[in-house]
Amino acid sequence: MALIDELQELRTTGLESIAASDDLAGLEAVRVALLGKKGSLTGVLRGLGALAADERPAAGKVSNEVRQALEEALADREAVFSASALERRLTAEAVDVTLPGRRRAPGRQHLIEKVTREISDIFIGLGYRIAEGPEVELDYYNFTALNTPPDHPARNASDTFYVEDLSGDAATVAGESDVLLRTQTSPVQVRVMENSTPPIYILAPGKVYRRDVADPSHLPQFTQIEGLVVDEGITFGDLKGTLEHFAHEMFGPDRAVRLRPHFFPFTEPSAEVDVSCHLCNGAGCRMCKGSGWLEVLGCGMVDPNVFGYVGIDPERYSGFAFGMGAERIAALKYGVPDLRHFIESDMRFLRQF
Amino acid sequence: MRVSMKWLRELVDVELPLEALVDLLDMTGTKVEAVHAIGATLEGVVVGLILTKKRHPDAETLWVTTVDVGGERPLTIVCGGQNFEAGDRVPVAVVGTTLPNGVTIKKAKLRGIVSEGMNCSATELGIGSDASGLFILPADAPVGVPFAQYHGMADTVLELEVTPNRPDCLSMIGVAREVGAVTGRIARVPSTSLTESGEAVEASVSVAIEDPSLCSRYTARLVRGVKVGPSPAWLAERVAATGTRPINNVVDVTNLVMFELGQPLHAFDAATLGLQSGKRAISVRLALPGETLTTLDGQERALAADTLVISDQSGAVALAGVMGGAATEVTGSTVDVLLESACFDPASTGRTSRRLALISEASMRFERGVDANGCVDVLDRAASLLVEVAGGTVAPGVIDEYPRPAVPAVVPLRISRLNALLGTELDRARVAGILERLGLQVDGPADELTVTVPTFRPDLGREVDLIEEVVRVHGMGLVPSTLPAGRGRVGGLTEDQERRERAGAALRGAGLNEAITWSFADPTDAERIGWVFGPDERPVRLLNPMSGDQSLLRFSTLPGLIRAVADNRRKGVADVHLYEMGSVWWTAPGRKQPKERAVVAGVLAGSWNRTGWNDPGVALDLSDMKGVVESLVEELGIARFRLRAADLPHLQPGRSAEVLIGGDVVGWLGEVHPSVLASYGCAGGPVAAFELQLKPLLKAARDVRPFTDLPRFPGVKMDLAIVVPDGVPAERVEQAVRSAGGKLLDEVRLFDAYRGEGVAPGHTSLAFALVYRHPDHTLTDEEVTALHEKVVRKATSAVGGQLRG
Repeated sequence: MALIDELQELRTTGLESIAASDDLAGLEAVRVALLGKKGSLTGVLRGLGALAADERPAAGKVSNEVRQALEEALADREAVFSASALERRLTAEAVDVTLPGRRRAPGRQHLIEKVTREISDIFIGLGYRIAEGPEVELDYYNFTALNTPPDHPARNASDTFYVEDLSGDAATVAGESDVLLRTQTSPVQVRVMENSTPPIYILAPGKVYRRDVADPSHLPQFTQIEGLVVDEGITFGDLKGTLEHFAHEMFGPDRAVRLRPHFFPFTEPSAEVDVSCHLCNGAGCRMCKGSGWLEVLGCGMVDPNVFGYVGIDPERYSGFAFGMGAERIAALKYGVPDLRHFIESDMRFLRQF
Repeated sequence: MRVSMKWLRELVDVELPLEALVDLLDMTGTKVEAVHAIGATLEGVVVGLILTKKRHPDAETLWVTTVDVGGERPLTIVCGGQNFEAGDRVPVAVVGTTLPNGVTIKKAKLRGIVSEGMNCSATELGIGSDASGLFILPADAPVGVPFAQYHGMADTVLELEVTPNRPDCLSMIGVAREVGAVTGRIARVPSTSLTESGEAVEASVSVAIEDPSLCSRYTARLVRGVKVGPSPAWLAERVAATGTRPINNVVDVTNLVMFELGQPLHAFDAATLGLQSGKRAISVRLALPGETLTTLDGQERALAADTLVISDQSGAVALAGVMGGAATEVTGSTVDVLLESACFDPASTGRTSRRLALISEASMRFERGVDANGCVDVLDRAASLLVEVAGGTVAPGVIDEYPRPAVPAVVPLRISRLNALLGTELDRARVAGILERLGLQVDGPADELTVTVPTFRPDLGREVDLIEEVVRVHGMGLVPSTLPAGRGRVGGLTEDQERRERAGAALRGAGLNEAITWSFADPTDAERIGWVFGPDERPVRLLNPMSGDQSLLRFSTLPGLIRAVADNRRKGVADVHLYEMGSVWWTAPGRKQPKERAVVAGVLAGSWNRTGWNDPGVALDLSDMKGVVESLVEELGIARFRLRAADLPHLQPGRSAEVLIGGDVVGWLGEVHPSVLASYGCAGGPVAAFELQLKPLLKAARDVRPFTDLPRFPGVKMDLAIVVPDGVPAERVEQAVRSAGGKLLDEVRLFDAYRGEGVAPGHTSLAFALVYRHPDHTLTDEEVTALHEKVVRKATSAVGGQLRG
């Protein structure tokens, strides 16, 4: 009976030790002391063999009960310790979520490219493709084939940049050279008309150059976006509907749009397009200089003379063309007061859009 | 073109309120750029009655006056005019008034006497050229009434933007005709009554045109016995309303008629023209070699060979259509005036005026084209007005050399074509009505009109020109809006455009912001960055740059990007991450158009982020720039990309590389040479940069990358450190490892490059993390050990390195 008493005693003292342990390490030491190979329970159980055979079952049963009780108590105690250890870790790891995040900010698209893209997408949606061409052009493509008279002021060295021509050719117009920085992206249209047959639905965005001193509303280098449609049965109404769609997409569905007759050498009839001012809703403000309207682009039906230069039959085909300055559109839409921001690469400007 | 509403109303009935008229003009193609109220500038000028006039005690030429201006008491005004008496009525500017010449009247002491205003001359009020004395008003002028109101000066002036195709609208009558057309009224041409007397003009004047292609008509009239002097107020005022300064009665008449009818006139002092066979002989010819002319503005001008001049036998006396000569100018002593009304070639006039930088009201009109058929009417109008304001008699007859008469154009117009082009359903009545109101004559059957266009509308020569007139006046707003109905078109980007978009997105994803810099370059850029052009290649020179530092086209984006970094740094922005896609250019002897090459370039300076609570703010260098380009290349799906060390003049030695795609050099990458940075004043630490040709990059791109199976069996990780002497690039060591490992070496990642303690001087330890993996089974320890030993052995011997112990 002494063995059973010893076991009972061991349970009592063991449970006390477990309860008294105050951390995981202490608890592990208690576990080893009680249940390890050299532990108390193992020691007591060595006496089992000395018992009479009829006593063994009872003693064995008690020993199992004691082991189970101790193991349960150890597990419970361990659970308590790990819960509080986790608790402590979590407390220690808490952060101030209002501190700034860690990031590498993705870069931004230039506002002009963003606007160009926005406009391109509107016309791609209408079935246009994007056409491109050289920025250094020939007088023929930039002026002549666009029905510009030989003495037109736009050809002046005061308006258009000319570059050195090393071919040895005599210039075909007044001046030293008929190689120039394109003043519009219309030469792209001429090249497309030369090299393909209608139907033609293209948008030609790109850099253009004019001899203006850089100031809040002028840049000698800027971005033009021009469109050209040549197909059978194209009407002035198609031009109007197309540009109204564009203006509504770009400036908002509630904007009023009007076409004002104007003059361009390469279109006839020609018009300028005004959109009602989005700041004052047409009432008149500083942005629209009190008129209630913002001039956003020029357009017209392709002049038959232009078709003549590229060999398209004006009796069979008709078409329209339009052009706008991306800088002006961007300045109007985003309220940029000075176009020079676009070319100055100030990170604080570039990061805004 | 400035249009006085008062004047316009004399030429056409205007019943619309001003605002509605402005809108209507805007919407029919004559944009009203501004509306000025004039007369308002004379606020503070009232009619005054001079009560007393006494000599100033301390100044012989000054008078002390008391003037009733309708106020509580008379004002004391010190006055320098001599042409008045007590009892005269004069315009008085009270204290606080600002006169048209900008002078503001203040209460001031003049030689000790306080003057409370100013008695005004016509010149001071901007209404005339007579500055000789006070502007004496009629005896019934009501005292105290605002002068502008009394004098009928209050007027509204519209500033019109006249498009270059509408020379007719550079005249009051043309504008009146246009207003009439859009409001349904008929304009009234001013009537002229002329009395001729004396000897016929042919007896005194002869004209010869040498080249009719440059002067299609030359007409002249002689007015004898004029008295040149200040213009009467009505004339001076009218001329002033056009924005022109009144000069004298003769010149003012020519200007008035030019503004009224659109035809520039010139007045010669007939006596100054040379005599030939007893006649003032004028010829219209090209300038002779070395010929010069002193123009009205007193400048002596050398005349180019293609300058059209008016000449007498002694030489040029006027630049045709541009400016008169000083020697033949009308002066106070002129007695006989020869009036010229001619039609000069637009292109020739334009060239001369631009070459001499003389843009006059006359040259502007000739450049756009004047109506040759109007010359004589204009002459008659001017002669009759001249007699009215300057006296004299008009010599009978007109000199009229008209070698190339202008003929009205006859233009067919199909109503069906008009509607097909406009997308409208206008009927013949509507179309004909519009054209007729514009002064055109319409004949012909129902669909096929025959339209006769008067010569004052040179812009209407083709069917499409008439279609434009119709839609313009009909109202573009009334055309129904539609979208093109054409079939068989698909919008979208080309493959290259799509890839360029992806390239931009990749660079932005890697942290770079898009920039647009100047396409222009400074001639010193090449030297500053040590740029090496190919044999025969040279930068593209602008013939007419805006400034010396922008006189080339750029051959590299680097100078622009360095300037962008420098500018940002100057503004206190240290962290700069930019990319740009754009063109660069160069040319070579024999080339017409330069070679234009699209490039993508970038620049990094500072750190990604400013040092923060959780970011040490590591300075960006070559490695970061390479990482950006690696991201770009990966996004484009380019497989064969590598850098090769190369000494490039613009980059720092040892931090300078060529970029290769598929074995070809497509650009460079590195850190900008410190002395290059210094030459751009770009202080503040290293700047990493790259520039790649876009074309090979886009060409090497792949849009669809095929699927590779994911590994099904675990890999075995092993580390390997090889010590190599300097000069052995990491890339070569990695290649040696890979080739030694063969297919079973699944991953090789360089995780450390170490120099220092434990590694022999002049050597680097390159540590790789390797993963061995077999596609079909889990590798056994024995297999891995054997493989790894082979890798160590082969790789070390291949690069002359040693396994790090």
